[in-house]
Amino acid sequence: LKTKVVLNFSPEAANNPITHNLIAKYHLLVNILRAEIDEIGGKMVLELSGKADDIRKGIDYLKSNGVGVRPIKEGVRRDDDVCTHCGMCVSICPTKALAFDPKTGKVTFTEERCVACGVCIDACPPRAMEILI
Amino acid sequence: VSKSYDEIKKRIADGDVVVMTADEFKQYVRANGPRKAAKEVDVVTTGTFGAMCSSGAYFNFGHSDPPIKMQRVWMDGIPAYAGLAAVDAYLGATELDETNNMMHGGAHVIEDLVRGKAVRLKATAYGTDCYPRKEIDTFVSLKTVNQAVLMNVRNCYQNYAVATNSSPRTLYTYMGKLLPEYGNATFSSAGELSPLLNDPYYRTIGIGTRIFLGGGQGFVIWEGTQFNPGVPRTPGGVPKRPAGSLAVIGDLKQMSPEFLRGLTFTRYGSSLGVGIGVPIPILDEEMAKACAVTNDQILAGVFDYSQPTRSRGVLREVTYAELRSGEISIKNKQVPTSSLSSLYKARQIASILKNRIAKGEFMIEKPVQSFSMDRVFKPLDVRSEKEAM
Repeated sequence: LKTKVVLNFSPEAANNPITHNLIAKYHLLVNILRAEIDEIGGKMVLELSGKADDIRKGIDYLKSNGVGVRPIKEGVRRDDDVCTHCGMCVSICPTKALAFDPKTGKVTFTEERCVACGVCIDACPPRAMEILI
Repeated sequence: VSKSYDEIKKRIADGDVVVMTADEFKQYVRANGPRKAAKEVDVVTTGTFGAMCSSGAYFNFGHSDPPIKMQRVWMDGIPAYAGLAAVDAYLGATELDETNNMMHGGAHVIEDLVRGKAVRLKATAYGTDCYPRKEIDTFVSLKTVNQAVLMNVRNCYQNYAVATNSSPRTLYTYMGKLLPEYGNATFSSAGELSPLLNDPYYRTIGIGTRIFLGGGQGFVIWEGTQFNPGVPRTPGGVPKRPAGSLAVIGDLKQMSPEFLRGLTFTRYGSSLGVGIGVPIPILDEEMAKACAVTNDQILAGVFDYSQPTRSRGVLREVTYAELRSGEISIKNKQVPTSSLSSLYKARQIASILKNRIAKGEFMIEKPVQSFSMDRVFKPLDVRSEKEAM
């Protein structure tokens, strides 16, 4: 199972090796999609893969350590009324969630592939992409 | 085979013109050859939609009571040039407010107006005997102004550069976001659909050509600035570097936000996304051959935008077929490509223009004057008064 979560933590929680514990104690594969951490706490977007039971336990562990956990269904959204299908985003998208379809001439957005890295946001000339995290 | 403008115009007026989009025409020529195509087809419609910075609109706001000779003008906070008569002003697409907010420049104000929105107009003046008022703060829209005219001095570039970045940091340019170490490459031409690439020597596109502009009808009014027909060309005559360009005009009140868009290039500025379509009359076999050009026959130079100089060397030449494949090779690295020009909208424009011509709603025009092939593109050097003479 794979799931994406946003973590919000306080400075105290930032001192715990939470990613290490998710990997070591709960046998999860952890992919860090975004991380903004400083002296006043921080925010992280993780993609967790592993057994459903381990993911649930891992999330419980985070919560018991003062980390706010919010699952995300979608990290980035495209406003289809704004997109002009130019294709600027396709060469910078690291997961090919944004891709050019030569048949229709349109840019397709496959949300399942999106890891919410956000590189497309400021690259989009008409500003059709929005990050929801 | 040869046809005159008058014959083609009569067919449009009579409703029996044969018109194809550039996409359709290329397929037709592949199947039937240019001779038959020249005989059977009267008009080919081209299209492009991309960021065209040298764009803007002029307005006549009407006179207030008491009247004002506007000296400084702001439209939704964006300065417009008012060094004209009392209530005329020109709003440039790349103009920003004093905070340099690139999310909302002159181009975005133009889009808002086209969307039917009202825009806050502020003006100040020193006051004269005939224009005593010194300031005004009001709202205008396309309904309230006398003229609202899109007038762009350089649009529709005939070919353009391909941009990449060899440096270790991300660059934010007018060619978009360029990732480090040749992380990507961007290009900005509709390629085989682009108007001037289908008429490489400007035989049918000149001053007075009627065009699709921003959703409405407009005209070519001059060569575009930096017009540079003398660049290297392929054996088929297609320029391999930025060459010709068009200065265009049209009534903003006819236009649509579908084909006129405010754009933001992060850390560069604002620009206007402009949709342009040009009909090309197939006067003879030579024009049919020119309009048969395909992406594999159109080349562009790849340039390293991390070199901040006007004389960057060409890394390599690529075809638009390669660029459209999604990847090109630069220095033995496979580099993903991005277009800044919307193929989807280019096709839409060519198709709309085709339908308008077929229905007799859009008439082609013979240019009243052709562009000069002698124009050259000169640089700006720091020079003395004497050297400039």
